[in-house]
Amino acid sequence: MAGQAGSQDNKARPGQRRMAQWTRDYARLPGIPDEYIGQDGAPRPAWARFFDAFAALSPADIERRFASADRHLREAGVTYRAPGETADRLWPLSHLPLIIDETDWRQLTTGIAQRAQLLEMILRDLYGEGRLVADGAVPAAAIAGSNEYLRAVCGVKPPGGRYLHLYAADVGRGPDGRWWVLSDRTQAPSGAGYALENRLVLSRAFSNLYKSMNVERVAPFFEAFRDSLRASADRDEPRIGLLTPGAFNETYFEHATIARYLGFLLVEGDDLAVSGDRIHIRTVAGLKRLDVLLRRVDSNFLDPLELDASSHLGVPGLIDVLRKSGVVVANMPGSGVLEARALLGFLPNLCRRLLSEDLLMPHIATWWCGQKSAREEVLSRLDDFAIEGAYGRAVPGFPGSGPVLAGELSPTERERLRSAISDRGIDFVGQELVRLSTTPTWENGRITPRPFVLRVFAAATPNGWTILPGGFCRIADEPDARAVSMGDGARSADVWVVSDKAIPASTLLPAADTVRIRRIAGVVPSRAADNLFWLGRYLERAEATLRLIRALGTPTRESGKGAPTGASTALHSVERIQRLLVTWGATSQASRANSAKVAAEALQSAEKFGSALSLLRSAQRTATSLRERLSPDAWQVITEMVERLSVEADDDDGIVSAAELSLQELASFAGLAQENMNRAAGWRFLEMGRRAERAINTARFARQFAYDEAGDEDLDVLLTLVDCQITYRSRYLVGPALAPVRDLAVLDPYNPRSVAFQVAALNEHIASLPSLKEHGLIERPQRLAVALQAMLTTAEAAALDVKALFVLEQDLLNLADAIGLHYFPHGPNASRPEKLTGLA
Amino acid sequence: MIYDIRHVTTYSYESPVSFARCSLRLEPRSGDGQQLVSHSVEIRPRPAERTIRRDFFGTHTESVLIETAHRSLRIDSRSRVQVTRQALGRTAPSPSWESVRDVAFEASSLGPASPVGYVFASSLVPVLGPVTAYAAASFPQGQGILTGAVDLMHRIRHQFKYDPKATVISTPLREVFEKRHGVCQDFAHVMIAGLRGLGLPAAYVSGYLRTYPPAGKPRLQGADATHAWVSVWCGSEIGWIGFDPTNDLLVENDHIILAMGRDFSDVSPVDGIIVGSRKQKLAVAVDVVPVE
Repeated sequence: MAGQAGSQDNKARPGQRRMAQWTRDYARLPGIPDEYIGQDGAPRPAWARFFDAFAALSPADIERRFASADRHLREAGVTYRAPGETADRLWPLSHLPLIIDETDWRQLTTGIAQRAQLLEMILRDLYGEGRLVADGAVPAAAIAGSNEYLRAVCGVKPPGGRYLHLYAADVGRGPDGRWWVLSDRTQAPSGAGYALENRLVLSRAFSNLYKSMNVERVAPFFEAFRDSLRASADRDEPRIGLLTPGAFNETYFEHATIARYLGFLLVEGDDLAVSGDRIHIRTVAGLKRLDVLLRRVDSNFLDPLELDASSHLGVPGLIDVLRKSGVVVANMPGSGVLEARALLGFLPNLCRRLLSEDLLMPHIATWWCGQKSAREEVLSRLDDFAIEGAYGRAVPGFPGSGPVLAGELSPTERERLRSAISDRGIDFVGQELVRLSTTPTWENGRITPRPFVLRVFAAATPNGWTILPGGFCRIADEPDARAVSMGDGARSADVWVVSDKAIPASTLLPAADTVRIRRIAGVVPSRAADNLFWLGRYLERAEATLRLIRALGTPTRESGKGAPTGASTALHSVERIQRLLVTWGATSQASRANSAKVAAEALQSAEKFGSALSLLRSAQRTATSLRERLSPDAWQVITEMVERLSVEADDDDGIVSAAELSLQELASFAGLAQENMNRAAGWRFLEMGRRAERAINTARFARQFAYDEAGDEDLDVLLTLVDCQITYRSRYLVGPALAPVRDLAVLDPYNPRSVAFQVAALNEHIASLPSLKEHGLIERPQRLAVALQAMLTTAEAAALDVKALFVLEQDLLNLADAIGLHYFPHGPNASRPEKLTGLA
Repeated sequence: MIYDIRHVTTYSYESPVSFARCSLRLEPRSGDGQQLVSHSVEIRPRPAERTIRRDFFGTHTESVLIETAHRSLRIDSRSRVQVTRQALGRTAPSPSWESVRDVAFEASSLGPASPVGYVFASSLVPVLGPVTAYAAASFPQGQGILTGAVDLMHRIRHQFKYDPKATVISTPLREVFEKRHGVCQDFAHVMIAGLRGLGLPAAYVSGYLRTYPPAGKPRLQGADATHAWVSVWCGSEIGWIGFDPTNDLLVENDHIILAMGRDFSDVSPVDGIIVGSRKQKLAVAVDVVPVE
């Protein structure tokens, strides 16, 4: 075959062959529309264009790019958590985008914008005048049944002038080829951040293909959303917070992504306080007013005083602040009431009534059994419907959180369902069973059709609703795509809205969707500062532990003088190292007989809280709550260290080399923090944590190895631990002697590992931080740090005996505590609000 | 009948409390056969802020902010209320429970008195199969709503044990029902859960009950207590009727209503958040004194 074609054909042909093969093997599901292949059996033009370009890549190239996409996701730490799990899962990305033609997309967006506007109008009426219910346009029961109908905000005008700021709809393409709404998300829609990550990853992995497809950019949507939130506040430079339930939440990664991308402060309920008629954020510089709260906490958990009393995720008094119009909350608490399926059937009429137009987008035909005629319809052909909860996901009285299919129930269960619907029809809806369209996914070098659900996002702007071109697409492995959540077997896909024409240059950002750089608002919440401080301390303690492990595994320099000059009962250096590791909780007393076991435990034991692995895990846990403040690189370094140490080393050499590698990575983390971390974002607290911990550890090392009778071997170990072998040798040209070594480790202000150096750095940081008090007196952390610096500046090495070193260590510990008490009084150890006991 | 009511709530803390934000629902409502004559609340330490509003249910709600450090918080509420209520007889005719249910489902108001707000589960009152089945025994087909509710109240009074030590405020309904014991609040919640399971509108009422000292003995000071019972919507003609399952009584002139809501969490007389102390002790003293 090769000889038959010219060079042009030779290049094109393998691609065409692959493409033909894929298309031939692509087995559409019978009777179900498909995104790639139209009803007429021919590929749709946009997809054909995509696969043409895609097939031109060699199979090896394709696999390489897929692997690179996966690596990006792993390295960026894109994770989610399945409900009920405690460990983060890696984000499963379907490597093929969902491609939607621009014309098709315009229709969809018009329908979504109309729907968003309709829902906003309904909310205004429900919580305001109440005409719709009074006139019978909406049955009262269809509202009252939702636990998102918040009686506490009835009659409260939403600050910022609207209920919905961000709205999302789950849509799918129905058998008639039109887009159908499956459900509405009015509470706190999730997924936009994941959509953003998917775009970043896929557009990087297939950059040329992406550029050639004229894909609409997603960045302008996010900017419009941010600008609109800013405009909703009642002052010029508003402070905006994203309220997250915390690091344990399944979509916490997304909260951090959005906060970082949009320049919002990531806050938890404990970070906020009501003062006067406003919400404030607790920062290292005192309370700072917060103007807008983008919430990812469900309404009922927002205020333990007026709503769910058991909630620890909210702010006591928040609802009262809303009454006084002191904060904009997006979306307005109570907006979630419109997620109830009971309402779906009433929307066409409501649309005609409120907007004087027909509802553009159909939704899945839904019968609310609270109405007699609908109930009878559902009961008369029960097997033709999916029975769902009228207000929430669960069907009352039936296990699981999804729809119940009467046809699949046992006769008794089926009868139970029937009588439940007859007795309390208000709790149920019947929904038509629909098979949604499929989209190509990549499986083992072939493309396969799979059903999907697309979440489309709409943001309210002063000029109307703007729609995210693209969205969050979830692809099912089951035939019924409505069951899709990010549980088992579901993947997400990037969504490309493609145009025939080039995307106008004005919206063309340099490389793909480049993040627009924004400075994080110039306040550091106390909790974030606290976490940064501890992140610094954990990492530094891990470093000290690793240095001890390395010292154990490396033979000390043979010196002529050999044994310690003191009493013969004095411990050998090795024993001193082991004792220190025991004190630090890195290894057990029992293991001390076996030196190899000590090193292995101190490095990798998951049970020992002081092992390098445990310390790095603590650092990782702390860093999780700081995701919006750390660069992806910094996060990646921590993850890699934890992963390495989680794999057991083979032998002594393996232990030493794992310790070595980890030390190198710690150094690279320090470099990243130094070079890449924004100085306004709490960098000082990370630094202070490191400095404080290093000062404490170095003082400890000095006491252990530069004690009054220390021998060459001990001093040698100390020089290694504080990384000063070379400095010492170049300076003194003789073997280690007590006073010079003490001076170098403790007093030398030019040695970046000495105690004096750390204290000087701490002084600098403390002096640069805002002062909380107005009375002009020196504050405690500064008083302690200045005194320490004076002592270290004037001290003489010869006088630094074990007793003096012990006092120094205690003073350093006190300084670290004073910093914590002073700057993070609201940190994790602060007293939390308690509920008053009620009567029983 | 006119009553003078004194309701003193005292919290004592182990360590000083620097901050408290409370909601008080201590003003008896007017309407439903009673009239508030006078009312005052004294709070120590003095609050930095006191604001009054009516909540969704029409209850007079006072928000209080205290910023002075304190080791005890004392809320002293005094009310004078006139009660002129005429109870229906236990055997009065009433519409069938099924018709009441169907009318309630079709209500066209979300207001606080609309029955539709009281047919769904609420935060402290889940709808549970076994509780619904228990209640169903009082409601054979076509049974009058009043007769059925009286029977249910009677059964709870006789099948549940009154035991102030058995439950605390957070004891879940399921446990109360399984162990068949509790206090007035628990009995009210059980009755409400059963009625709502059948689709019948039932509300929670907080208030006071006049107690009668044993014959020949003086009334003891502070011996009364806050009380709770159930209000059932018996169709548009009869409206809301009070049932006291703790005493197997239809609510008449011995009951003084404070507030009505879906469950205790809507009407809690004193509710709040404090910062500073984990340990707290609560003492409540109530006197209900008939004036004439």
